[in-house]
Amino acid sequence: MTVNASPPSLGELILRAFLTERDFETVSGDLLEEYRENVCATRGALRADLWYWAQVLGFAWRDAGSWAILFAAVFLARTAMDWHMPTADFHTRSAISTLAAVGIFLAAGLRAGSRSGWSAAGAIAGLATAGLALPLQFLGAGMLLVLWHDPTIVAAIRGSGGLEEVYTLPLLTVLPGILFGAIGGALGARTRPSRPSGHSLSP
Amino acid sequence: MADTLGTFEQAVMLAIVRLGNNAYGRAILNEVQVRVKRDVAAGAVHATLSRLEKKGMLASRVEAGTPVRGGRARRFYKLQPQGARALNDAWSAVDALWRGLKRPLKGSVRLRASQ
Repeated sequence: MTVNASPPSLGELILRAFLTERDFETVSGDLLEEYRENVCATRGALRADLWYWAQVLGFAWRDAGSWAILFAAVFLARTAMDWHMPTADFHTRSAISTLAAVGIFLAAGLRAGSRSGWSAAGAIAGLATAGLALPLQFLGAGMLLVLWHDPTIVAAIRGSGGLEEVYTLPLLTVLPGILFGAIGGALGARTRPSRPSGHSLSP
Repeated sequence: MADTLGTFEQAVMLAIVRLGNNAYGRAILNEVQVRVKRDVAAGAVHATLSRLEKKGMLASRVEAGTPVRGGRARRFYKLQPQGARALNDAWSAVDALWRGLKRPLKGSVRLRASQ
């Protein structure tokens, strides 16, 4: 038993964004107890921290995974459209895909803020949405390229910003994801209906 | 049969039954891991507990934490009559599927059936 060992404090902070107020205390307590009594003792400090991060990632995926899949789907749909239906005027497409992305980040943040009652939860949810979408976007773009790579498509890719854009744009969405998630989180935390805290202890 | 339980839901509920008065988050996680013989994510157990509680199959109460938890409260779970019914239904469904067959099945049974 390693009574004084502490899991990564950033991990605990992030965990809070994916749980209700009611559940954060009990779930983080369960993880802390397992970390100290079992994982640290059997796996060592470094692997215990990795275990803790894996648990946090699991909570993040369960909560933000659906937003991440939706965001990746929007990105891949837009990419496929640019490759298959080339256009000289990208303004309308850009406006639609940007609005969809902003809406997804706002919604993810709003939900996180409303659930946790914590404004910063929205920024973390936005970060998780953009971050979890990254591998899906990279893999998806790679698969599209494997499926479609004839000269016409290659010309359309060049005309729509090139492969560099396909692989850098997802990285550039992380910061807006945090920003719009934060806005959604602030709105969600302010406008959420009052709920029983669920923290009352039984006699 | 109102609700059909998945295998993981059954594992979580049976862990609660086995643990009795000590069925709180971490203990349930460990009991499930022992029974299914693999690492299980705490998030998966938490999501299942929340879902089953919302369905009325489980009830929970919060009690004070211990020093090793940094004093953080523990949530204890208890099986409700609706949960017990769902577990019994799940067992009956499996039992009906196996009735009349000898266990363990042998490969030759499958081969003869496919000929």
